[in-house]
Amino acid sequence: MSAPLLELDGIDVFYGDVQVLHGLSFTVREGEIVTLLGSNGAGKTTTLRAISGLRPPRRGDIRLRGESLLHLPAAARSDRGIAVVPEGRELWGQLTVRENLELGAYGRRSRGAARRNLARVLELFPRLAERSRQLAGSLSGGEQQMCAIGRALMSEPRLLMLDEPSLGLAPVVVDQVMEVVAGLHRGGVTILLVEQNLRKALEIADRGLVVETGRVRLEGTAAELAADPRIRAAYLGL
Amino acid sequence: MARLLDLAISAVLLAGLYATMAYGLGLVYGVLRVVNLAHGGVIMAGAYLGWVLHGRLRLDPYLSIPLVLVATYAFGALLYRGLVRHLPRGAAGGPASLLLLFGVWLVLRNAAYLLFTGDDQAIRTSYSTHAVPFLGTWVSVNRLAVLGIALVIPVALHLLLHRTYLGKAIRAAAQNAESCTLVGVDVERVYTVTFGLGTALAGLAGVLSATLFAFNPASGAGELLKSFVVVVLGGLGSVVGTAVAALILATVEVFAILVLPSYLTAAVGFVMLVIVLVVRPGGLFGQRVLG
Ligand SMILES: Nc1ncnc2c1ncn2[C@@H]1O[C@H](COP(=O)(O)OP(=O)(O)OP(=O)(O)O)[C@@H](O)[C@H]1O
Ligand SMILES: [Mg+2]
Repeated sequence: MSAPLLELDGIDVFYGDVQVLHGLSFTVREGEIVTLLGSNGAGKTTTLRAISGLRPPRRGDIRLRGESLLHLPAAARSDRGIAVVPEGRELWGQLTVRENLELGAYGRRSRGAARRNLARVLELFPRLAERSRQLAGSLSGGEQQMCAIGRALMSEPRLLMLDEPSLGLAPVVVDQVMEVVAGLHRGGVTILLVEQNLRKALEIADRGLVVETGRVRLEGTAAELAADPRIRAAYLGL
Repeated sequence: MARLLDLAISAVLLAGLYATMAYGLGLVYGVLRVVNLAHGGVIMAGAYLGWVLHGRLRLDPYLSIPLVLVATYAFGALLYRGLVRHLPRGAAGGPASLLLLFGVWLVLRNAAYLLFTGDDQAIRTSYSTHAVPFLGTWVSVNRLAVLGIALVIPVALHLLLHRTYLGKAIRAAAQNAESCTLVGVDVERVYTVTFGLGTALAGLAGVLSATLFAFNPASGAGELLKSFVVVVLGGLGSVVGTAVAALILATVEVFAILVLPSYLTAAVGFVMLVIVLVVRPGGLFGQRVLG
């Protein structure tokens, strides 16, 4: 088994006085693709925000390759190899596609390789190459998702976290996005994928975690979860 | 004809000054959602700084520009770090930052009264009135120099905002700060730089106008008003929009001299603001940012 890349160790996260994550723990190993599942409001986005540093935990620890991230400000974490494709994409709509991508390599570590990575991303997403001078806000939903993924790839992350990349996309486009994510995984990127589209997520994931009200309720390989009667009843409608 | 050309040159010159001031105000509002009421005070302070450097240290006002830029940039950066950073922003935080920055302006103004009295001053150099032929008329060297600088500034700003990582990060932070953090931008640093930059533009406008017009500690109010007109008319963060709006305001002002009694020309900027707000009721707040 490969070494752990990301470890969450009993984190408690609050919004004001409201506790949203309760001692959440899990591990993502190098080269794995793990999917974080759960219904609306379960705390999936909050988990990613804790890892990226936007909403630090009040208790517990988050480690990358064994080193705690808690002392690192959020802006320093992309240099450690963490990249996020946020829920709702969160592009800079008034900037061009190209500028959105370029800023993905803002970090000190990634700037030197920006040119090479831009070429790589544009090769991966030819649609973005055609539209590189267009404002990101004028792209279609699927293209925006590609742009958000491309932006995250500009820093050559070790750990790529995606928050509901299929949200609001047509089924064909969802398949394309999932294919891209699976391709990145085959290329060696470790992936933490938040999804509500359980079926699609379990198709490409190695393992899955089900979060409910801020706690891990179920954990297992993708095959185990897909066969689990509780999941089949609650999420797959079977 | 020569008179018309004179007026046209005056209009472009004024437009350059207005654009410089307005850009500083618009940049800060666009990125931080803070209306910098201290802007007028810094314009005044920039004028005095240039005047002191010239009067006491015999420094040519054009050579003092880098010093004024550095000093007002530092002042703006410190102002952000020390005060503005801790205030609520945007529509909800409006009153707090407005009052605070208005207070900063009052402090600057009263400090100037204390240090320099309320007398009118101007920066007069040996070549201030030396005229050279220009497009068939005569223009003072000083006015040409101000014109040149006022044309260089927008180009430099545009290049900064569109060609550098920092500039792109400034524009991006205006739209979505969290995404900036996620790609490794230290957003607080971007805010500090932006506030410093906006303040430095006010200082620059101050020292430039001090070589053309008389000033005193109360100066800056009219300039602030005109900056508002230009920002609201020209849109936030668009270098071209700002330049066009500044040119419109300056042209109206300059040519108003021909038709209006002199005691009314001062009100032109105010009337323009009213008209602009009627035409664009969203004003400053309804605008899209730094495209
Ligand atoms: N900014 C916030 N302030 C207060 N409460 C919040 C905030 N963001 C999220 N919450 C609350 O925290 C809980 C978890 O939210 P979170 O966004 O992490 O859920 P999620 O699993 O990502 O849901 P979804 O599938 O709808 O995206 C919810 O109850 C939500 O109401
Ligand atoms: Mg979510």
